[in-house]
Amino acid sequence: MSELVLEISALEKSYGATRALRSVDLCVYRGELLTLLGPSGSGKTTLLKTIAGFEAPSGGEVRLRGRDISRLAPARRGVGMVFQHYALFPHMTVAQNIGYGLKLRRTPRAERERRVSAMLELLRLDGLQARYPRQLSGGQQQRVALGRALAYDPQIILMDEPLGALDKALRVEMEQEIRSLHRELGATIVYVTHDQQEALALSDRIAIMRDGEIVGLGSPEGLYAHPPNAFVASFFANANLLAVEEAVALGDGTARVRCAGCEIRCEASAAVAPTSAGGATLAVRRHSLRRTHSEGALRLRGTVAELLLFGDEQQVGVDVEGLGRVVATMQTRECTDLALGSTIELYAPAGEPVLVGQ
Amino acid sequence: MVVAIVLAMLVPPAMVVALSFSGERYFDFPPHSWGLRQYRVLLEDPRWGSALWLSVKIAVPVALLAAAVVVPALFTFHRSRLPARNALQLGGLTGLVLPVSAYAVAIYGVFVQTGLLGTYFGLVLADLTLALPVMLLVTSPALSRIPEELELAAMVAGASRARAWIEITVRLLAPAILAGGVLAFMTSFDESVFINFLGGPGQETLPRAILDSVRFGLDPVVTAIATLLILGTSAAMIFAVRLTRDRG
Repeated sequence: MSELVLEISALEKSYGATRALRSVDLCVYRGELLTLLGPSGSGKTTLLKTIAGFEAPSGGEVRLRGRDISRLAPARRGVGMVFQHYALFPHMTVAQNIGYGLKLRRTPRAERERRVSAMLELLRLDGLQARYPRQLSGGQQQRVALGRALAYDPQIILMDEPLGALDKALRVEMEQEIRSLHRELGATIVYVTHDQQEALALSDRIAIMRDGEIVGLGSPEGLYAHPPNAFVASFFANANLLAVEEAVALGDGTARVRCAGCEIRCEASAAVAPTSAGGATLAVRRHSLRRTHSEGALRLRGTVAELLLFGDEQQVGVDVEGLGRVVATMQTRECTDLALGSTIELYAPAGEPVLVGQ
Repeated sequence: MVVAIVLAMLVPPAMVVALSFSGERYFDFPPHSWGLRQYRVLLEDPRWGSALWLSVKIAVPVALLAAAVVVPALFTFHRSRLPARNALQLGGLTGLVLPVSAYAVAIYGVFVQTGLLGTYFGLVLADLTLALPVMLLVTSPALSRIPEELELAAMVAGASRARAWIEITVRLLAPAILAGGVLAFMTSFDESVFINFLGGPGQETLPRAILDSVRFGLDPVVTAIATLLILGTSAAMIFAVRLTRDRG
């Protein structure tokens, strides 16, 4: 791995009896874009605010390039931040907004002007330097916010749901823009979002948070294919969680599982105890379910209880006896014969299901 | 119905304005002759000038002091974690909630004890109790509309907390502070209860002079003063409202 930029260890934050962060450990490496992904209240924004210095930790440490910054004022940490609603200064022009951090650092005027115009060019904002934020489109405001955070060359850039306020088309466009900017600049970025699609599109690595803890950490592909636990499987990988009748871990990363009357062999995540039935569930992703049998597949039989058309794809809810509702996402053309109440057989091909712990 | 009531409310000021252009030495409506006699008398009589001057001399420091007290107070009310900050903010509105005459009696009691009765400083202090809540009522909601994120953005870019507050938030609050100042000025300028309770014999503000002139013989010159006051107040109010209205 490349150089360590941000190192968070045993970080705690409590508000009275509520623990917003529970012993969080996290390393961020130079040039990577790491996403903190989680539902609201999971602690991702608190973690970001603690890195920025808006919240004082109740315990633990935040180190930026080896320097403990946990007790420093935000101004002295040398981080850049992009806020959810841009937070541009309405009484300053685009150039003044971008140059604000340089002005505070007493950068000489000539140098400041050079850096600001470099930012304007990089962010395709040429010609807009004398405008005020209210005269800009949403996408342009977003880019000014990025420019303000980048201009003084911070060690790390924090982004707090920066696309949350944009409509969908612009969001996709800005996702691409952030990704290409990130590549171009090699900036180290910690990015907060609750949107799984956004995390998948942008991240080098994703940290999934729940109740103040990081419950999954890895590359998007890795977490998607090999969820470490039930929460990551359902929240991130859109998996169904099926109760198992019996599960025996075989020690080589696989397990023998009986589920819905079928015996299959499947991958087992590391957290599952050697031989257990209690506590472990079988994660089967919605997209992996088929209507055709294949060797070693898990078979589920039930009745169609829900049909939702998304366009090319269709979401089919199936009530399976003993397991409850199982949701499959399938090609619409494969589902033309289905109606509510019809009997259906679904197959999860060998290699797809993963046995996960709670 | 509503139109009729509003029109009825506009009749007295309209009559005063009309009367101020009467050429007569007595109240008479409609006047037999027209002219600028009332305005001429107003300018010639030094009594009105000195009353106006005293009113301004009280109202300007009152407005400035109100701003000087309220801006730091807003930081406490909106940004600190002081436990009683909401109760404190309500307490700041006292002068607005209590009946003015009752409050005047209370202040009278305090001023007798402290020797402030009939002093210029005492009048400024008394008017300040009315001007502070006015200032607070104008600026506090305006501050709520300025996102705290802006301050955080300034801080993360390298500004100290104080600098972020002054350079970003107070700067954005400036129109509301100015509007609050105009209204605080008007509150003090127009104050007619405290001055009668607390003012000494030589202290004649404009409202007191008007009241006295009506009490001791009806001189139509007051219609000219009233007209000027109506115009001045309307202009100030329009100015203040335009300042607080969101731009863009």
